Order: sequence, then C-alpha cells, then structure tokens
Amino acid sequence: MRTSLNNIKLTDDHVNGLLPTGDALVFEARLILNPALQDEVILHKQTLALVQQYGRDMLRKDIESIHTQLFSQPQHRSFKDSILRFFKH
Amino acid sequence: MTSKADREAVLTELYKSMFPVVAKYVAKMGGSFDDAKDVFHDALVIYYEKVVAGGLSVANDKAYITGIAKHLWYKKFNQAIGTKSMDDMNFDIADEPAEHPSSNKILHHLQTAGKRCMDLLSAFYYDKLSMKEAAGKFGYAGERSVTVQKYKCLEKVRETVKEQSLEYADFIE
Repeated sequence: MRTSLNNIKLTDDHVNGLLPTGDALVFEARLILNPALQDEVILHKQTLALVQQYGRDMLRKDIESIHTQLFSQPQHRSFKDSILRFFKH
Repeated sequence: MTSKADREAVLTELYKSMFPVVAKYVAKMGGSFDDAKDVFHDALVIYYEKVVAGGLSVANDKAYITGIAKHLWYKKFNQAIGTKSMDDMNFDIADEPAEHPSSNKILHHLQTAGKRCMDLLSAFYYDKLSMKEAAGKFGYAGERSVTVQKYKCLEKVRETVKEQSLEYADFIE
C-alpha cells in the first residue's frame, strides 16, 4: 500500500486499540509531539462515528421495509390482524 | 448475517415471531401500535449490534429481545409521565450519536456522493464483516484487494468529512 494508506491504517489501528504495545507507545509519543497528527485522529474518529451512524440508519431502513411488507402484503394478512387486535380497546 | 438477503431473512423471522409478543405487552400496558413499533425497532437494532459484536448466543435471542423491548417501553412510559426510570440499566442505544444537525448534513452528503465507500466501510465497522466476507460481498478478488479498498475509502470519506466540516463549523467540537 502507498504511504498515505499505511498512515491511515496506523491511525485506524490506534483508534481501534489494535496496535501492538511497542507501536502503540511510538504512536502516542508522536501524538504528543505532532498537533497535525492529533487533528488527524480527531478527524478519523468523526469519520468512524459517521460510518456507524450510516450503518445504523441502513439497518433501520431494512427493519422499516420489513414492517411495511408484513403490514401491507396480502399473504401476511393474518399476522397483521393478530397484531391490530391487541390495540382495539 | 453477512449478506443483505441473509440479514433480511433473519430479521423477518424475528419480526414474525417476536413482534406479536412485544405488541401484546405494550398494548396491555396502555401503549399504542406506534409505541410498540418504535420500541420493537429499537430492540432489534440493539440486538443486531450485540450479535455482530459477538456478545450474544443465539439460544437466548428471543428472551433478550423481549427483555430489551420491555425495558425500552418502561423508559418511554416513565419519560412520558415525567418520572425517572426505576432502574437505569444502560443499553447500547444510549450511545446513539446525539442528533447533530451538521453531522446529518455531512451524512446526507456522504450517502449521495460516496455511497459505495460508505457501504463498504459500514460493512467493516458496523456489520463487523471479516475481510473475507467483505471481499465476497463486494466482489473483490481477495482479502488483500478489499483491504486496500477499505483504506482508500477511509481516505476518501475522511477528506469529504474534512471539507464538509469546514463548511459546517459547528461540527468541530
């Protein structure tokens, strides 16, 4: 991999706690000395948080579409009726 | 749950077997159909995240889902009447990132401009697929090429996040 990608891997492994002890210590020392690297770590964490949010949003969409299928398709009619019955007070 | 079809099948099966239990409970407690749907969807999300993280055996999954849904209903109900939840067992859903207007804008941008990379990255970081599974899912020749693609995508998405967060200054905390 090219250098920039190897650096991203290093940051990613640091953020996810995957660096072996020696490498982790070196990375932490570089972090103290290099504000640009600190910014990079922050950016990396923001990126991963957005990726998590994206994954969760996609899952919610899938669940929503299962719900729509179960409550609209004729073959699931009895399922739908059995649920709606609970809410008829 | 490594493929989309596989995940959909598992979730549909859980929906059919577990939603009646949760809906019956919520109805008995005075909740509405939409309340039942909300807590059930949240419970499925929590369950899914636990399973992919490897923290749950499939043997007790149904009891687990009902347990979370009941807990979520208690929380929702107690909030509605303005009292504190009686027990504050914390489930992972509490970690859901606060609705950040800028992060939503950036996310929206990434969904349109970089969907393929977001799909690949969320397969690794959210769905916790292995390199081998991801290579299969996204049609890469092997683990090596999908690994390289993962870091290329991280580079690309990070760059977008950086550009976008300059536009939305409040994203930087």
